[in-house]
Amino acid sequence: MTTQNTADGYRNNRVGPVLRLSEITEGVIEAAREDNPGKTIRVDDKIAYVRIDTEGELVLRRATLERTLGRPFKMSELEVNLGSFAGRIETTDDHVRFYYEKML
Amino acid sequence: MGLLERSDWYDLARTTNWTPKYVAESELFPDVMTGAQGVAVEKWEAYDEPYKTSYPEYVRVQREKDAGAYSVKAALERNRLFEDADPGWLSILKAHYGAIALGEYAAMSAEARMTRFGRAPGMRNMATFGMLDENRHAQLQLFFPHEHCPKDRQFDWAHKAYHSNEWAAIAARHTFDDLFMARSATEIAVMLTFAFETGFTNMQFLGLAADAAEVGDFTFSSVISSIQTDESRHAQIGGPALQVLIADGRKAEAQKLVDVAIARAWRLFAVLTGPSMDYYTPLAHRKQSFKEFMQEWIVGQFERSLIDLGLDLPWYWEKMIAEFDYQHHAYQIGLYYWRPTLWWNAAAGMSPESRDWLEEKYPGWNDSFGKVWDVITENVLAGRIDLTLPETLPVVCNMSQLPICAIPGNGWNVRDYPLDYQGRSYHFNSEIDRWVFQQDPVRYRGHMTLVDRFLAGQIQPANLAGALQYMNLAPGEIGDDAHQYAWAEAFRNRPYDKKAA
Repeated sequence: MTTQNTADGYRNNRVGPVLRLSEITEGVIEAAREDNPGKTIRVDDKIAYVRIDTEGELVLRRATLERTLGRPFKMSELEVNLGSFAGRIETTDDHVRFYYEKML
Repeated sequence: MGLLERSDWYDLARTTNWTPKYVAESELFPDVMTGAQGVAVEKWEAYDEPYKTSYPEYVRVQREKDAGAYSVKAALERNRLFEDADPGWLSILKAHYGAIALGEYAAMSAEARMTRFGRAPGMRNMATFGMLDENRHAQLQLFFPHEHCPKDRQFDWAHKAYHSNEWAAIAARHTFDDLFMARSATEIAVMLTFAFETGFTNMQFLGLAADAAEVGDFTFSSVISSIQTDESRHAQIGGPALQVLIADGRKAEAQKLVDVAIARAWRLFAVLTGPSMDYYTPLAHRKQSFKEFMQEWIVGQFERSLIDLGLDLPWYWEKMIAEFDYQHHAYQIGLYYWRPTLWWNAAAGMSPESRDWLEEKYPGWNDSFGKVWDVITENVLAGRIDLTLPETLPVVCNMSQLPICAIPGNGWNVRDYPLDYQGRSYHFNSEIDRWVFQQDPVRYRGHMTLVDRFLAGQIQPANLAGALQYMNLAPGEIGDDAHQYAWAEAFRNRPYDKKAA
């Protein structure tokens, strides 16, 4: 990879959670697909962490997560496994949203 | 009992600015501590922390995190990792805990400063949790290595390193003092939480966790990635502070703080994380190269978020990217050569297959860094270990406190970037380090590198033995070759057939 390509690597609009190895990962991937219709959800599995992202905006809803995980889920529980995230974050009681304000 | 949702009460509960009656505002919140840069207190009230939590949520979530980390440790305590792991991996653990654990306590003080002197109520609120987070990190990273101390006293450096004058400890202290111990609340928000934590800590705490999982060290992988979930939250203290500064016309000042912080963080991760990923982790377990992790975390994620907040790339962006190809390889040679001055055993990371991998990931490696390793390998095979050990002092950078070094062999680009300031000559590793010094010379001018101290006669006797004593390295702690030179046998009677660039 050339230096020039590396330097331009910031030109992307991928946003989304980076989860540590966890029992909720599959449920979050499923919820990401359901809550972001029409968008391609990319999953990059590095075992210790899984990067789940898409272009521009990714929403995860509490109600969807409760269904995909099959149990009650408080939005704040996501933090237990949220090792990092790409983009900005908005945290509410009902959903969490990853997004960029400017598209590159 | 029915409880309100957080959003029903949060904004009201957070409104904690008040008008002081008994003292002047400037006495309660002196500029030198707040770093508010003259931005009026009303404007700081626009600060809205994006990653919110409340105290009940915090306690519940942290309890679950700790239960997870400690139970993984307990479950795997008898898995003989210490006996079975590659010695290079054990060296990564020693380097990590020594370089990080007490830095976490320092970060706790910094978070406490934001808790007390942050101008925005939301900043004070989030920093209170951040302070508790950093305490957790220090305690985890002192407790986890402690079980290994009876078997190997180098693990004792998890606690000892920051109390010593060992050169890497001096470099870490100098960097952390600059990024957050000797900074105001606003500067800490920008330099520690935004630049250091949303950016670089991902490299060591998630990137390296990926390698740890490959190695099978799930205890380490679990604890460091658990720590990063705290960072991920309190690192968001910085973003809204940047927005307040930029909205009030302080973009240039904010940009400078970010640029200084990235420059300083990059050096530290280049010497700590770089060799760990590209040399110390056994080849079969490397998830990605250091450069690929930098590309993923720093270029693709961190720099992108910096643009979104309205900042620009650092002026030295291209120069730093160019360093991704060589700086940590140069540091690796320094670590190996001066290995008696480490609290861990240096892994050479050399085998014909490793060299092929390095050439593939960093085209040209064999004709540059490889040439140095050719000579080291030759000397080891000839039984001349003495020729692979230091007899001289390096020239140390007056900013990073690390040896001034770059590309050897073909592509040689090693040079000093000097500066005369008030009658003293300073030396720097690059234009970037020198630029940092020039931004605030009064701040940096009095510090003496380890080599400055040596030349000033502060280290006696003035030889390696005196230096080791000065660095508090006792027998049994002094670094050696992690594999007792066994790696060199792969090259005996089999000259390495260099893969083409």
